[in-house]
Amino acid sequence: MKPPPAGESDFGRAGLAAVVGLLVAWEALGRLNVSMFVPPVSHVAVAWWQLLANGTLVRAASSSLASLAKGFVPAALLGVAVGLAMGRFATVRYLLDGWVNALMSAPLSALVPVLIAIFGIRDTVVAATVFMFSFFVIVVNTMTGVRGTERSLVEMARVFGAGEAALFGRIYLPAALPAMMLGLRLGVVQAVKGMVVGEMLISLVGLGERLIYYGNTFLITELYAVIVSVLLIALITSQLAQVADRALIRWK
Amino acid sequence: MAAPAPVPIVVDGVSKAFGPVQALVDIHLRVRAGEFLSLIGPSGCGKTTLLKTLAGLVPADAGRVVVGDRVVRGPGRECSVVFQDFALLPWATVQKNVEFGLLLRGVPAAERAGTARRAIGKVGLAGFEEAYPAQLSGGMQQRVGLARALAVSPQVLLMDEPFASIDEQTRRLFQDDLLRLWSEERKTVVLVTHSMEEAIYLSDRVVVLSPRPGRVQQELDVPLPRPRETADVRATADFARLVDGLWKILRKLQ
Repeated sequence: MKPPPAGESDFGRAGLAAVVGLLVAWEALGRLNVSMFVPPVSHVAVAWWQLLANGTLVRAASSSLASLAKGFVPAALLGVAVGLAMGRFATVRYLLDGWVNALMSAPLSALVPVLIAIFGIRDTVVAATVFMFSFFVIVVNTMTGVRGTERSLVEMARVFGAGEAALFGRIYLPAALPAMMLGLRLGVVQAVKGMVVGEMLISLVGLGERLIYYGNTFLITELYAVIVSVLLIALITSQLAQVADRALIRWK
Repeated sequence: MAAPAPVPIVVDGVSKAFGPVQALVDIHLRVRAGEFLSLIGPSGCGKTTLLKTLAGLVPADAGRVVVGDRVVRGPGRECSVVFQDFALLPWATVQKNVEFGLLLRGVPAAERAGTARRAIGKVGLAGFEEAYPAQLSGGMQQRVGLARALAVSPQVLLMDEPFASIDEQTRRLFQDDLLRLWSEERKTVVLVTHSMEEAIYLSDRVVVLSPRPGRVQQELDVPLPRPRETADVRATADFARLVDGLWKILRKLQ
């Protein structure tokens, strides 16, 4: 692959400068004691380290990540399967299109109480919320990928005698792969949102529960420490998804 | 890779409509075994539809197409198609693209690799086996498309405006290579084009289709001597006269 153009590393440097600038400003505001809601960033870092050392963060994060996996993996598998079916078969598309579009734009947090009613106040609700948040964007992107397959590629394969199975496996599936991977990348970001929303609403386990707890008890420094952890998880998962994407689609 | 003997094509009263649009009306056409025939006509005259009907990609509403001794009801093993937009798999290397037809026809991997490599060599792309389509120019991509079509040793080569999106200099070199390959392994060729020079330069016979609905308007024999790729046929008075004759037919249709 080509080395990145000079401009890209300049952007990297500019981004870094922005982050450092923000941290310095935050620290200064915290030291000036403008508000109890702006503790110095160094205090947040200390609190983060303490929560990590005493096991609070690890316990909460492992519960959160377990729910994330339990919700996202089925959403990915089922989402891709449903998206492929909707892309390939008009009947399936007509049946599901309205539902998928409605639920993709709906404020899904409103449905979490329904999940609580179904599953009770348990961590299953978090996994179900993760599923609900990430499923639809995966479906829609996969379907779009299949439908965007070049017509001439399909005709070319048919000329060489491809049947339905060969068309699917050798044309539609690889042609849909980039859009599918985009759906999974967007899906994993949605999944992290679903994780936090679900945990905050059941207020029982995970990082979301800690957010509610520290918020209600005005432990603002600890609250920020948990927020930073959530941001880190979001960043790392989306980076991992991007790495997987690049590894799978090297021909672009 | 012994090239099988070319076969004739018979088009018998073929009609085709897409909804309310009548694309082809009662087309009668005979392509001799080993003949190089061009279909030309104004945009929307159904020439591509006719080609796809020959390929078995578009079923005719009425009439029938016979390739060799097979009545066409779907794609058959004797035909290969070269597409206007190349239709290369962007995720596969040149080698894998050229192997693709062989793969779909169940040719074992080792044989596939060798046959594809020879086809790549024939079209002048040796050394580019591991490149991806996006790394090649349009002309080179279409050479991959031609190699893929030739790799399955077809008796009939159907070409849908193969040079339309290729620049003029590349196109002329490519046309000469096509003529050389065609003289080496005789195939029945049907070429759809909108270039009068191209039709005259390459073909034994040019069939002019009328605008929608497409009918056979006129046929024009091209008695220019072969091989044309070694002589400077384009510079001859005969060539100019034939192109002019074709233009006079087409002008009346506009």
